[in-house]
Amino acid sequence: MPEPGHEPLVVFEGVTRRFGDTVAVERMDLAIGEGEFVAIMGSSGCGKTTTLRMLAGLERPSEGEIRIEGRRVNELSPAERDTPMVWQTLALFPFLDVRRNVEFGLRMRGIPAPARREKAMAWLDRMEIAELADRDVAQLSGGQRQRVALARALVTEPRILLLDEPMSALDANLVVRMQAVLARLQRDLGITFVYVTHSQSEAFAMADRVVIMSRGVVEQIGTPQQVYRSPANRFVAEFVGANNIISGIVTDYREGVVTAETALGMLRATVTGDVARTPGGGITFVVGADRIALSGQPAGAGNEVRLALISEEFIGSVVTLHFEASDGSPFRAQKQQRELDTLALEVGATMWASWPAEDVHVLPGE
Amino acid sequence: MQARGVRTVSFYGLTWAMPMVLWQLVFFVFPLCFLLALTFWLVRNYRMVPGFDTVNWVKMYSRGYFWDAFGFTFTMALLSTAVTSILAFPCACALAFRTSPAVRRWAMFFLIIPFFTSYLVRAYSWQIFLGDTGVINGLLSAVGVGPWPMLNTRFGTLIGYLTLSLPLVVVLQLFSLASVDRNLVEAAWNLGCGRLKAVFVVIVPLAKVGLIIAATFCFILSFGDFVSPYYLGGSKPPTLSILIVDTTKSGQQWPRAAVVAVTMIATLFAVAFTAVALAYRRRA
Repeated sequence: MPEPGHEPLVVFEGVTRRFGDTVAVERMDLAIGEGEFVAIMGSSGCGKTTTLRMLAGLERPSEGEIRIEGRRVNELSPAERDTPMVWQTLALFPFLDVRRNVEFGLRMRGIPAPARREKAMAWLDRMEIAELADRDVAQLSGGQRQRVALARALVTEPRILLLDEPMSALDANLVVRMQAVLARLQRDLGITFVYVTHSQSEAFAMADRVVIMSRGVVEQIGTPQQVYRSPANRFVAEFVGANNIISGIVTDYREGVVTAETALGMLRATVTGDVARTPGGGITFVVGADRIALSGQPAGAGNEVRLALISEEFIGSVVTLHFEASDGSPFRAQKQQRELDTLALEVGATMWASWPAEDVHVLPGE
Repeated sequence: MQARGVRTVSFYGLTWAMPMVLWQLVFFVFPLCFLLALTFWLVRNYRMVPGFDTVNWVKMYSRGYFWDAFGFTFTMALLSTAVTSILAFPCACALAFRTSPAVRRWAMFFLIIPFFTSYLVRAYSWQIFLGDTGVINGLLSAVGVGPWPMLNTRFGTLIGYLTLSLPLVVVLQLFSLASVDRNLVEAAWNLGCGRLKAVFVVIVPLAKVGLIIAATFCFILSFGDFVSPYYLGGSKPPTLSILIVDTTKSGQQWPRAAVVAVTMIATLFAVAFTAVALAYRRRA
């Protein structure tokens, strides 16, 4: 989080980017601090890549101002900035060998050959691919290329590194390993990483803060925890995925507990701060799928709903159970595999789900 | 047509490939062999007599004017290649990177249009522009300069070579530049490479094969051309192609003309192979 009082490393102020009639990014405000790992997330066409390209100078803002280190950079060409990027395609130069690829940025800065060779080798060593220095880029595996791209971008010791979906070409195993490499690298270097991805797991695994975008607009900026537990709006709640979203009408509000009538029955939520609600108004609850307790019989607790099991989905040790609620709407619960041993899971079986009022998040403004 | 590394010959494929092979054999390989044999024939009383004598080679290769013509032709072809490639490159770059696909299609169309008209006609029409009393010198004299002799000079020849090869070279360069990965260009900018520098550091290496092939075409066309050096260069000095015509006219010396022709073909082979080797050379 940028410290108050002095200018953060990167600032977007009311930045808009239009392509003809389409607005790719709209009135974006964003501050990124020194040494922060920020992930910009959203589905394709949400403006996340355009945001990154504006930071690199590959696109110019139509309106607003971008500052890096307190200096307006709107008019600076890509070459005049020190914002190296790791590309989705990696964009390694096929006509140069691995070492010369890594040296490229130094060569462009006029560093003499022996010095840049030494630096390039040091980085290849750090990325554990020193033995590949003389190879052709085409001879490398996906993971090795990734490391070359990282070394090439970092060799000039920038204060900020841009990453544009760098792992989309890797298989799942490698993604997890590269995440660890990236996260450690960012910690060790202490520089700012701006990471664009459509993958929530990548963003949540590595980022200090995530920026969620949709249709060119920033929907929420916060830590992965905040975004996951306290989505700012319905879009974020749905985007984050593992949530049940239930709307209703407030019937009662006292002592920090709001009660509402919903299609699933009377439900309660503990609310904090400014989320005061008056009876008769609409309200939307968000319940994390991992906060759900399941049982075969009604326990008589509050916040209990009756469900019919539709399917199970195994992801490693975690199981996602898909249900249909009494009003026909979908409902999700996430459980550890071993927690399900005592339950009879049959498709069509009736089950009871409950959750504590404290675990309910109330969507602001809905 | 490959199974487990065993190459099987497809009768179907062979059938369709045959006309091409036959054509090349009958109209290229056989004539070439004949041409080579012809260089050893003799001319007696203005008649060719089959034989095997190296006299034609000795006579031609020992004449100063032959080597002068060779040097001149080679130099002019090289000059033409350099000038054409350099003039074509910015144009091809602009079309490849700065224009919409629609504009590019139109540009391509306009580049092909010149080929609708015979090159002889196009070269000939330059005389109207380049002559001492032609269009250009007429304009120059209107502002009180000139006339500058352009027709029947090397400059005239060069203009002819450009007429012949510039559109083709632009098209060939455009093809290779259009396939350059834009990401790599942006990556170079991103790593501190200025826009102009990126052209030489990234775009040229990426498009190298196509650029060299375009240049090779230009060299081949210019080296063998007869029209430009004759009609626009005034045969001063003669190129090898003019030398061939002169040799056949003077005393039916077809065998000696064949020596010139074979020398030209050998030169073009050497140039083409060198160019291809250069294009596909692995980095040092």
